[in-house]
Amino acid sequence: MSIDKFKANQGLLYYLIKQVRPELAESISESKNIETMIVGLGRQGTRHAQLMMEYGTDVTCGVAPGKGGRIVHETIPVYNSAKEAITEHPNIAIASIWRHYSTAKDATIEVIRTGIPIVVLISEFIPLKDVRDILVEARKYKTILFGGNTPGIIFPPEGIKVGMLPDIFQAEQKEGKIGPKGVTILSRSGAILYHLSDALASAGIAQNGVLGVGGDGAIGSRFVDLVSLVMNYENTDLVVIAGEIGGMQEELLAQDMLSQPEKYPKPLVALISGANAPEGKTMGHAGAVVAPGQSYGTYSSKKEALEKAGVVVVNHQRDLIETVKSKLNRTYFEIEDYYKKMSEKWNAKPPEKTWGTLITNVMPNNIIIRGYHLQEIIAKKGLLETLYLLLQGEFADTEEIIELEKIAKNAIREEFSNYDGVPKSPDVSKMLGTFLQIDKRLSNYVSSVPDEPKVVAYTLGRMVKYLAIIQDNLEAITSVKDTDVSFADLIYLGLVGETQQGTLKVRLLEAMITACVDHGITPPSAQATLVLSSTRAPYEIALSAGIQAITDVHGGAGQKAAEFFLSVVNKSKEKNIPLEESTFEMMNSAIKAGKRIEGLGHRIHTKDPRKDVLWQLAEEAGYAKDCVKVSKMVSDVLFRVRGMNLPINVDGVIGAITADMDIDPKLAKAIFVFGRTVGLAAHYYEEINTQPQMRRLAFDKAIYKGHSIRNVE
Amino acid sequence: MKLYEYEAKQIFEKFGLTIPKQIAVIETTEELEFSTLNFPIMIKAMVLIGGRGKAGGIKKADNSDEAKQIVSEMLDLTIHGYPIDKLLLEEAVDIASEIYLSVTTDPATFDVVIVTSASGGIDIEEIARTKPEEIWKNTILDNSKVLPDSIAQEAVDFLIKKNPDLKAVDNQLKTTISSLFSVFQQVEAKVCEINPLILTKNNKIIAADAKLVLDDNSLYRQASLLQSIDIDPQSKRHDVSEQTLFEAQAYKIGFPYLDLLDNPENFIKKDDILYVGLVPGGAGYGIFSIDEVVNLGNRYFDGKVVPINFMDSGGGPPLAKVADMFHLLMDHPATDIVITSRFGGISSCDIFIQGLIMALRDRFLANKRMIPVFGRMVGTDLAAAKSFYEKAKKETLEPLRDLHITIGNKKIMADIIRDGIEYGFEIKKQMKEGGN
Repeated sequence: MSIDKFKANQGLLYYLIKQVRPELAESISESKNIETMIVGLGRQGTRHAQLMMEYGTDVTCGVAPGKGGRIVHETIPVYNSAKEAITEHPNIAIASIWRHYSTAKDATIEVIRTGIPIVVLISEFIPLKDVRDILVEARKYKTILFGGNTPGIIFPPEGIKVGMLPDIFQAEQKEGKIGPKGVTILSRSGAILYHLSDALASAGIAQNGVLGVGGDGAIGSRFVDLVSLVMNYENTDLVVIAGEIGGMQEELLAQDMLSQPEKYPKPLVALISGANAPEGKTMGHAGAVVAPGQSYGTYSSKKEALEKAGVVVVNHQRDLIETVKSKLNRTYFEIEDYYKKMSEKWNAKPPEKTWGTLITNVMPNNIIIRGYHLQEIIAKKGLLETLYLLLQGEFADTEEIIELEKIAKNAIREEFSNYDGVPKSPDVSKMLGTFLQIDKRLSNYVSSVPDEPKVVAYTLGRMVKYLAIIQDNLEAITSVKDTDVSFADLIYLGLVGETQQGTLKVRLLEAMITACVDHGITPPSAQATLVLSSTRAPYEIALSAGIQAITDVHGGAGQKAAEFFLSVVNKSKEKNIPLEESTFEMMNSAIKAGKRIEGLGHRIHTKDPRKDVLWQLAEEAGYAKDCVKVSKMVSDVLFRVRGMNLPINVDGVIGAITADMDIDPKLAKAIFVFGRTVGLAAHYYEEINTQPQMRRLAFDKAIYKGHSIRNVE
Repeated sequence: MKLYEYEAKQIFEKFGLTIPKQIAVIETTEELEFSTLNFPIMIKAMVLIGGRGKAGGIKKADNSDEAKQIVSEMLDLTIHGYPIDKLLLEEAVDIASEIYLSVTTDPATFDVVIVTSASGGIDIEEIARTKPEEIWKNTILDNSKVLPDSIAQEAVDFLIKKNPDLKAVDNQLKTTISSLFSVFQQVEAKVCEINPLILTKNNKIIAADAKLVLDDNSLYRQASLLQSIDIDPQSKRHDVSEQTLFEAQAYKIGFPYLDLLDNPENFIKKDDILYVGLVPGGAGYGIFSIDEVVNLGNRYFDGKVVPINFMDSGGGPPLAKVADMFHLLMDHPATDIVITSRFGGISSCDIFIQGLIMALRDRFLANKRMIPVFGRMVGTDLAAAKSFYEKAKKETLEPLRDLHITIGNKKIMADIIRDGIEYGFEIKKQMKEGGN
């Protein structure tokens, strides 16, 4: 694709828009951008939305009933109706419609009524009666309607296409720049355009626009409506129409040319197909049939009519080349350049199939959530603010956070009666996962509240309740008068069993939880949730699956690390030796016994971006004691033992801080699980909102396509 | 899809129009005991092609001997090359005067158009040319589903002005016009025509003929209508004939295909003609490639080249369908050579070449007729397609000996077709020499 395109606000497409909606053209000439909308996001529509974007079209939004609120191809917001879409994006100038023929009529009429000036109706096989209803509406709104059954429209100089025409059409090139001049093609067929572009390219003749008028028997804009229009665009040097048997479009055009020749200032060449067509047999296109006994619609009726109007009619590729060449007497680009471009394109390996996530970008030593460094979020934002960011992509207003806080607190208070039969287990993931699955209140909430951040806030509240049950703190947490107590206070109370309202301890715990919120597509827990989301399992089940994938191997090392650090500190006290020595001794004997030291090493990070901020917050809160000290030296000590460097990871840091806070080491894992629940929920919603169900989940093909780097205010 | 006259009449009757009493639709002389019939009766050839009146496809019989003779003669008749398989027998009506009435689609604007004339029974286009004042025409601009009463009244007034005898049946006429309009909109027709609509001597309005062409695109929601006249809603018919064997086969597999030769099932080839089968790409190029073959044949090969089919192989057909397209043409008795073009703009060349090679290998192994294939492929996944093609030729040369695919678009398709035709003649010559 060429880098410098011809300006969108000077091209043929802009010219067409200007003819019917001068005001919209005005705003395009300011924005220098032509917005398009895609209606119908089935297999075809979705695929071509991407191909259009790759070609350079601005696909501003999509419309698909029942899919409102989703995002396709990471950037295209979807609305339930065209009306909603146009309210949000009033500058949309073109809509392409990809709906099935049985629903195409309503979709098209709805689009026309929004006032969008150009409508490209891709749908094929639309019943005639429906087409008439569409045409009645298009006339009323003066819509330029292409199709039905059009392959679309493409404007090579501007690099804009709407529809399914491939990138085989060549724009003018002069002095290394793209120019707007060339021939404009109007065609009833898509397939023939391949051979037209071949033919014209072989003579060095550029196309500044290719307009598929549609292969059906009844269509929107006809040759007679369009040819004069495009001829009056200053950069069109000649018009080629590709007509075929059936109907009387070509005859009508000829009639108009005869009666009003002044409307047709440029040469016209007509390639007409069907000289050898049988009578009464429909030839692929619904419109391509010689109607028995009619005086129009045959090859010869069209040829005669057009020739009478002074048009050269050809029926052979070589004749087309010679005619166009002789009429133009010039070339628009180096022919070899075209072949080079095409062969490069065709010999290119198909691009690797990737998919996008907008949530978290994980790179070595960096965790970027929605564009923000996680360490900054930990330092400056609370858990509920982070929750909102993960789900919605931006930070919320204060009011929204107050609302979420209310919901989360309320969720703690609400009844949870049916957990009695769940056997107690030391495995906090297993317990939490099970509670999620059996909690009726939660599943009711999920199915009755459509607002995603609210659902997740509610879930966090319920998780606090589960943890309080597990930690035997249920009574403490339910007896609290909640007016002055924050959600963070309640988290502390639920997990630890102590009231520590508003203290630095509470803030420190919240920061540790926030540190665990997400790690992108890479961890097994996120992948487990995605697998279930992909099959459209219920929210709480997908969450439960992710949580139960958090084990000693993944995310659960905090407890063992805490225990290790405590034992080091104890030993140092017992033997009255410096911490570093006792660390060395403990580590040495552990390694000799073939045990691994938990909390060290990471698959991706050599310097875990979360560690410094947590240590610092612990310092500020007065909880950076002996275990934290050990945690800071453990990596260096390991080098002395084994001659290798393993960095401390977030589990290790959390383990150390929880130990210094003198809270149950078991809680280190609970903190991780609790925090990660938010990320899992975000991945669940992204999957169901943006991806087709039961897709092939290639986790290593995920690419972060979200917000670029920014700073937390 | 065009309906036979008796089917169209049955539908018109459901909407309240009066039709002559249908006695039977027969396919042999033996099917009826003619002596018991009420004469006179009309015997009409049930063909889809027009012009049967002039060709002797409509006759009146006054007694059973006459009827028997007409039936046996008519069943031996062909009309414009199409055989007559079915006859409609119906009671004859006495005629006081004839009217023309139709509801159709305006070919220029696609609006619904009602046309009527008090001079019925003859070619309406002819009247339109010679005596336009004899024709009343109204275009419905809002696609209204029911005919506004005022418009029906206007039509009736016009007819009465032209033929005062019709005054006696003004209400019947108005109902007939409104009903035909309702038929048009409700069964989603392209054409509803009654020519002639008859005023009988005892002041009845009867549809003596009926033409009904349905919109193929709306057949899916007209299933109950079609079933009510014993038509399989999943079947397909041309506007002039039933499908040929190959057309029906392609329809079943799911790609548009037409035979260009008459009687393709038992085709007798001429020795000096090259018969070209086409697997050309989408519908538009499908039509155009036929012209290219004929044009090149006329310019460079003495007019001795005949394309045998139309095919729309466009979009991105799956492997098996690509193979079926080639199988169909190679099973066709006429094919001498297949010329193919794959321009993979968005769809893949790779699938195309794999499907083609699969068909050739299968045929070779099953000992079926092998036909040379000549053509070009260009577009998406060309590199993969090329390496598959070259590898396949190395691995199994035998079945692919006569496969000649040019890669890339430096040579335009018209030139490839010309090369293909030349090659076809050469092969034909070699085979002839070999045969001798």
